[in-house]
Amino acid sequence: MAASGLRRSIDVSGYDLRLAMPLAGFFAAFFLAPLAVLVVLSFQTDTTGAHWGVTQYVQFLGDAFSLGVLASTLWLGVKVTAVCLVFGWPVAWLHARSGPTVKSLIMLIVLLPLLTSVVVRTFAWIVILGRQGIVNATLMSLGLVEAPLKLLYTDLGVVTALAQVQMPLMVLPLATALSRIDPNLVAASEVLGAGEWRTFAKVILPLSLPGIVAGSMLTYAASITAFITQSLIGGGQMLFMPMYLYQQASTLQNWPFAAAISIIFLIAVLAVVTVFNTLGRLSRGFAQG
Amino acid sequence: MLTRRRLLETALTLGAMQAFPGLSLAQARPLVFATFTGSWEEAHKAVLVPAFRKANADAQIVLDPMLSVDQIAKVNAARANPPIDVMLHDPGPALVAIGQDLVEPYPVEKSAYFKDLIGEAQIASGPAPFFQVVGLTYNPEAIKTPPTSWADLWKPEFKGRVGITNMNSTLGTGFMVEIAKMYGGSEANIDPAFAAIEKLKPNLAAVAANPGALASLFQQGQIDISPGNFNAIQILKARGVPVEFVAPKEGAIAFKTTIHIVKNSPNKDLAFKLIEAALSPEVQATLMEAPYLIVPTNTKVKMAGEIAKVLAKDTDDLKKKFVFQDWAKINQQRAAWIERFNRDIKL
Repeated sequence: MAASGLRRSIDVSGYDLRLAMPLAGFFAAFFLAPLAVLVVLSFQTDTTGAHWGVTQYVQFLGDAFSLGVLASTLWLGVKVTAVCLVFGWPVAWLHARSGPTVKSLIMLIVLLPLLTSVVVRTFAWIVILGRQGIVNATLMSLGLVEAPLKLLYTDLGVVTALAQVQMPLMVLPLATALSRIDPNLVAASEVLGAGEWRTFAKVILPLSLPGIVAGSMLTYAASITAFITQSLIGGGQMLFMPMYLYQQASTLQNWPFAAAISIIFLIAVLAVVTVFNTLGRLSRGFAQG
Repeated sequence: MLTRRRLLETALTLGAMQAFPGLSLAQARPLVFATFTGSWEEAHKAVLVPAFRKANADAQIVLDPMLSVDQIAKVNAARANPPIDVMLHDPGPALVAIGQDLVEPYPVEKSAYFKDLIGEAQIASGPAPFFQVVGLTYNPEAIKTPPTSWADLWKPEFKGRVGITNMNSTLGTGFMVEIAKMYGGSEANIDPAFAAIEKLKPNLAAVAANPGALASLFQQGQIDISPGNFNAIQILKARGVPVEFVAPKEGAIAFKTTIHIVKNSPNKDLAFKLIEAALSPEVQATLMEAPYLIVPTNTKVKMAGEIAKVLAKDTDDLKKKFVFQDWAKINQQRAAWIERFNRDIKL
């Protein structure tokens, strides 16, 4: 008795699946069950629910306009992620290489936007990008442009605003990945005769790949689903998937089509995430091998 | 025997009942009124709710502001035990709610005020306690001569200065129907409006996602003229934004905002009394004053203030100056129009 009790208490590396049960139950009730309802709903052929079939999917996938909305949404995510990566990587690098004071200062600046609501941040961008906004006022006073540029309700405006709004999601994983890189590796690379660029391309960048993949995945998922920023900065005629979904579900009360749109969107996003995941696995092998 | 497990079960059950008081089904709940968000909620909280509570021995009432479409979705999801007792609707969604059998007919014969409403507001499925009015909004600092007609939006001097909204909103759809009518179309034929919007493109600075976004475009100087809601403009004006409202000579578009008792509501009597309060001349007269400026529908209310100045002096004048649209016809094709607007109107 005493011996077996002792043995059980020693086994600290094992874990008990039952501990995860409350959370699993919560997910089953409030995530999996509604998702199942959504899938079922998407196979109704009309709003009355009298007939079943794949009409909604055929309607979406056979329609160039709908496919265009999907493509432009996925492409928007690529652009925002690229901008976040290009601007976020140097910040994360600076964070990893700075002393404690500067480090916490950078972290504060990165986290600060997360402390305000996304609506507030987006409205700030309306003020910045408007005809009488900061950008146009500066350009006009410098004499670079004669009439105000149209920045609001344009693709450029949406990408810029989204990149700022989602930047923390890119910088945080990058900062973690970069701070794990042993500074001696850089020194070693230089001693062995590599220049700064070669050290960057052959040592630092590959080692930061897990952070790049994690950050990109978060930024991508967040930017393609950012309903508020997309509609406030993009306006009524730049249609992305979240707005399309809202229009069908809420304004038109066409729930079966809205359900089909969300399932298609979900699958498209899962496909992109799988690509990122595969890259992530490859990069781990690359970084350690 | 009191085992640890039994004790835990009891504690959990008690805890759950504490956390979700709705678990005991038979419990009475206060009257729930789903008004609209923003200025509507403010006006109803400040005027309608106190009047209702005063007349009904401080009856409990909860305001749960949300969009028309969300009200329909919520009631639809729990038809037998709806979470809302009184709904407020724009004309399009009102017909959807009636079509889906979500509303109780208004007990007209019991009502003290129904017969005093102007004809257009006497609707048996749910009367209209207020009108919403859509006309032209412009920035008086940029536009010195006030516009007089919808056709002014097409004037070449407004190149790149005009804002509109897409057809998702009641305002956007109503505006398009009015434009269609101007060029020989109707509630059933929107084609002339699409042709006209095609010609408006050089003037268009923005197609906003919703009427609220138009307000921020005025504030940012992004646009100088647009179709606009009378009440929304008053709020902007009060905040010091340079905007003015004019009713075009073709007539301002009037939307009936209707109020409905929800089918299967457990609080039907109180719901009726709340609607009576909303129809009463006292409440309507107070809501007509600044800062609310809500257009009354009870003929016993004498038009005054900004409304008398800008919109109509009295009920007869109102009937002459307001244009009502046939939303039963509009609803038949609205989904297709919204799709078409998505596809065709690209800036």
